[in-house]
Amino acid sequence: MELPFLNTWEKGDSIVNTANSVISGQLSKKSLKSLMGWGGVMIWDRNIDPVDMLYAYLMRVASESCGECTPCRLGTVRLCMVMERIVGGKGRKSDLKLIKNLVSHISATGKCDIGRTISKPVLDILDAYEETFIEVIEKKRQVKKGEYAHVITAPCINACPSHLDIPGYIENIRMGNWEKAMEIVRKDCPMPGTIGRVCVRPCESACRRGLLDEPISIRALKRFLADCEMNGVIKTESPPQGVQKQKVAVIGAGPAGISCAYYLARRGYPCTIFEAQEGPGGMAAYGIPSYRLPRNVIAHEVNVLEKLGVEIRYGVNVGKDITMEEIASRGYESVFVGVGAPDSSKMRCEGEDAGYRCFLTGVHFLSESARGRKPAEGKKLVVIGGGNVAMDCVRTARRLGFEDVNLLYRRTEAEMPADPQEIREAKEEGIKFHHLVAPVEILAENDTVAGIKCLRMELGEPDSSGRRRPVPVEGSEFVIECDVIIPAIGQVCVVDCVLPEEDVLTSWKTLIVDQTTFQSDRQQIFGGGDCVTGPQTLIGALAAGKNAARFISQYLQQGGCKPELSDLILSLASAEGVYDPGESFPYPGITEREEPSVLEPEIRVNGFDEVESCLTPSRARVESDRCLRCYRLLMSAI
Amino acid sequence: MPELEINNRVVSFKKGQTILEVAEKNGINIPTLCYLAGAAPTGRCRICLVQVEGSDRLLTACDTPAGEGMKILTDSPTVRNARKTNIEMLIASGAHNCLIMDQSSKNWTENQSKIMGQPWHNIMCPSYGDCRLQDLAIEYGVRADDLELNYEGHPLDDATPMIVRDFSRCIGCGRCIQACNEIQVNRAIPEPYGPRKDHSQGWYPLVDYDYCTHCGQCVQVCPTGALFEKKAFGKAAANEIKKVRTTCPYCGVGCQLWLHVKDNKIIRVSGVENAEPNHGRLCVKGRFGYDFIHSGERLTSPLIREKDGFREASWDEALDLVANRFKDIIKKHGPDAVAGVSCARSINEDSYQMQKLFRSVFGTNNIDHCART
Ligand SMILES: Cc1cc2nc3c(=O)[nH]c(=O)nc-3n(C[C@H](O)[C@H](O)[C@H](O)COP(=O)(O)OP(=O)(O)OC[C@H]3O[C@@H](n4cnc5c(N)ncnc54)[C@H](O)[C@@H]3O)c2cc1C
Ligand code: SF4
Ligand code: SF4
Ligand code: SF4
Ligand code: SF4
Repeated sequence: MELPFLNTWEKGDSIVNTANSVISGQLSKKSLKSLMGWGGVMIWDRNIDPVDMLYAYLMRVASESCGECTPCRLGTVRLCMVMERIVGGKGRKSDLKLIKNLVSHISATGKCDIGRTISKPVLDILDAYEETFIEVIEKKRQVKKGEYAHVITAPCINACPSHLDIPGYIENIRMGNWEKAMEIVRKDCPMPGTIGRVCVRPCESACRRGLLDEPISIRALKRFLADCEMNGVIKTESPPQGVQKQKVAVIGAGPAGISCAYYLARRGYPCTIFEAQEGPGGMAAYGIPSYRLPRNVIAHEVNVLEKLGVEIRYGVNVGKDITMEEIASRGYESVFVGVGAPDSSKMRCEGEDAGYRCFLTGVHFLSESARGRKPAEGKKLVVIGGGNVAMDCVRTARRLGFEDVNLLYRRTEAEMPADPQEIREAKEEGIKFHHLVAPVEILAENDTVAGIKCLRMELGEPDSSGRRRPVPVEGSEFVIECDVIIPAIGQVCVVDCVLPEEDVLTSWKTLIVDQTTFQSDRQQIFGGGDCVTGPQTLIGALAAGKNAARFISQYLQQGGCKPELSDLILSLASAEGVYDPGESFPYPGITEREEPSVLEPEIRVNGFDEVESCLTPSRARVESDRCLRCYRLLMSAI
Repeated sequence: MPELEINNRVVSFKKGQTILEVAEKNGINIPTLCYLAGAAPTGRCRICLVQVEGSDRLLTACDTPAGEGMKILTDSPTVRNARKTNIEMLIASGAHNCLIMDQSSKNWTENQSKIMGQPWHNIMCPSYGDCRLQDLAIEYGVRADDLELNYEGHPLDDATPMIVRDFSRCIGCGRCIQACNEIQVNRAIPEPYGPRKDHSQGWYPLVDYDYCTHCGQCVQVCPTGALFEKKAFGKAAANEIKKVRTTCPYCGVGCQLWLHVKDNKIIRVSGVENAEPNHGRLCVKGRFGYDFIHSGERLTSPLIREKDGFREASWDEALDLVANRFKDIIKKHGPDAVAGVSCARSINEDSYQMQKLFRSVFGTNNIDHCART
């Protein structure tokens, strides 16, 4: 893509680069003709009439204005009035000045970012095209009508893989419209109770309020709504819109599969989920322990799904019990593959494949515990890893009655990928952390684990992930005697079990799909979640399922998948980022975030009772009041 | 204590105070419109804007925390201009024809007749002369001539007996919402905000009558003539009103009232702000239940029943009669044959006197209060 001939965006060059990679990467047939948003204006296509573009932009700002503050509520209608008369040939000479004054006024005095971000792009376009505007006003030149698309985003929305309208639902909590708030959540997240409890919350790290004092408790607010729904305080059942004939099969009742089926069913498609295990939820149910995510939460979410007409067939392993061809021959016109990343990565350490008793993978250990079984006996247990799965393993082991629970990690706490809250809570529960230690050999007696031989490490140069690489300290070998060993260092995909054809898979056995449409090289097969990305996050899997559902529907209706311009604008914003960590505020922050209370460590280690509680309505209201409503509008010509 | 500068004057403040609070404490006036004491500030009207050095936007004094070393200007030309623009837009967007006096443009006349044709608009606005918006318009030199009016239709809710809600004068300040939800906690006015595309009907503070108690607090806080008392409409102009302070006669709480009086008649009633015990709040009886005062059926002297009817009597005669009958009964049947019940409209002191009389003079413990059951 060539360079724009007009570029007033603050970080314009970086956007051009991002646009280039986004566009050449996935949407070669579409191209950006222009971009107008909080940072300025960029124009690639000389056929665009700037007067028309400004009118289109101001109409969109006006339709997003929320009515709370005077300048934006009234100023935006006024701007539209003025633009209307300009394009209608009734413009006045003074109108340009009026527009400039008004947008400056709205941005200087508006309450939220909808109003505050309009002056830069509007003033830029008026500056660059002053003569064109004067021509239209004085000579009454006809304005060329164009078509435009736009997206609404915010730092938090943009950081969320599923782009939940966070300020939207928070604002509705504040106003007491809990049902409306939940509707907004359900538009982009079919497992709100799950996500409200265990999401890795990238949104909170990108929350602008965090620059002022503390980020909004976005996750806890979502849980508040989800609990209201689950307890019947609010009702949010929306019946399917329309009825479709084409049947769709979904493989895997994990988050990705659930999400895809949910949004297909809401569009009216009959869906069947084939699930190998005896229950739904995938890793959310068989990985994440119930003290973080009680089972009734998933049960409620699946219940909502089934009420929409989705059928789930348990105990059907696709690839073994039924093949993809058989599924197709039963009249399913499209298939969504959401089989996750079920196998564990190897530690590359001696003895791990010897089949010793009491040596089991983290995922296996957790799934056994989730089924109410104690998968190994003993007193002292060692978990290897530094991520959330490792945390789940040690904390579960503590609850299963292991007295001496140890965690080995190759680097230091600073490099641990686990959520700091998890690390803190694990420590409170008496878990022993051993940093800078790597396993070299599993020791056994009578084919049963007896100990683990380890090496001490030190941190060397940073690796590709930017974290300092651990290097072994010569001659530092030592042995930890123990009864159970659990490696929890990552999972890998095995999509080849379902789809043996090698051309649709990577060498990592993940499924190859288009990043926007989630369609694979076999046009009727779509896929998303961990089986495409490798082990990621719940919200990532839900987002993939949601987007795939949209494109499956498009494929079934139109025979092909064509992303829209707004998809492109969204990917551009996602890649470019909306959050500006360097922003400073002209006033001090004085509020504290509302945190849900947690069970005392001495009490919680005795069982699998949920650790974190729900915000009360009044605290949710107080928390929602802290949101700064950092909405941004980004528009492009088609 | 941290310090900051307002209008080049150094003042100290406490952490957590807003700019408005610091200014007020130091006798510096910052105009407000939507700010409602006792409720959390919302920053909706953007009238209390101030200039803070280093900020490219103007900040609302009501909800911006004061910061160490801030340099604040509360009345600079920039600030005054911004306030004026907001006031102008507010006036232009509604049926605010009170500035008719300085009109000349054709536009305004057309609009004027459109407005006058509406219900409740045949006479001047009910809050003429007692309107925050009008005050601000005058203070900031807003002239009707300069305005491009964009007044269109607005909802009207005049179906309830006491209150008219004429949203053609509503400026969207949200004070009524706060008064109802935060001050009275009746929660009868849901917050209406949200993207315009989902609110084609506008953002009016419409009442949910399942919750409304008709207390009229919303009317009291409305800064314009959007909400007004139906009974008072057209009865008196602001400058004809004399305000008389009194205590509400209805119950023992003793709310403080302003009677708005013209020609010795109560036109309307409002609550006294900043006074114990009600801090401006009133209930439906205290605010609207005053018609009995001027009722022809009111008793003005004691009546004694004779045969089928009553005859007027003097207080002495009536009291003697009652005292003698009590004495007779007590003599015949003992003191426990009588009982005292005091009224919910009497104050504590009167109830005390009543029980004293019955216990130590009559000699019975039969006492009660009508609000006890
Ligand atoms: C222990 C653990 C803790 C985690 N904690 C968090 C967390 O706190 N926050 C977070 O965001 N993410 C967390 N994750 C990651 C998250 O669980 C996953 O990213 C998410 O579940 C992926 O969803 P998915 O639908 O793609 O795959 P999965 O959840 O793995 O679901 C795949 C489903 O497909 C089924 N399936 C597989 N093969 C077949 C077949 N051949 N036929 C039929 N069905 C099949 C499986 O049985 C499973 O039900 C955690 C993961 C683990 C393991
Ligand atoms: S969108 Fe923001 S700037 Fe516009 S009216 Fe609402 S609060 Fe004011
Ligand atoms: S303050 Fe609100 S809108 Fe802004 S980033 Fe945080 S959650 Fe999002
Ligand atoms: S009359 Fe009272 S209860 Fe009814 S809307 Fe007004 S403040 Fe609320
Ligand atoms: S009715 Fe009155 S108090 Fe309520 S928002 Fe409108 S102007 Fe403000």
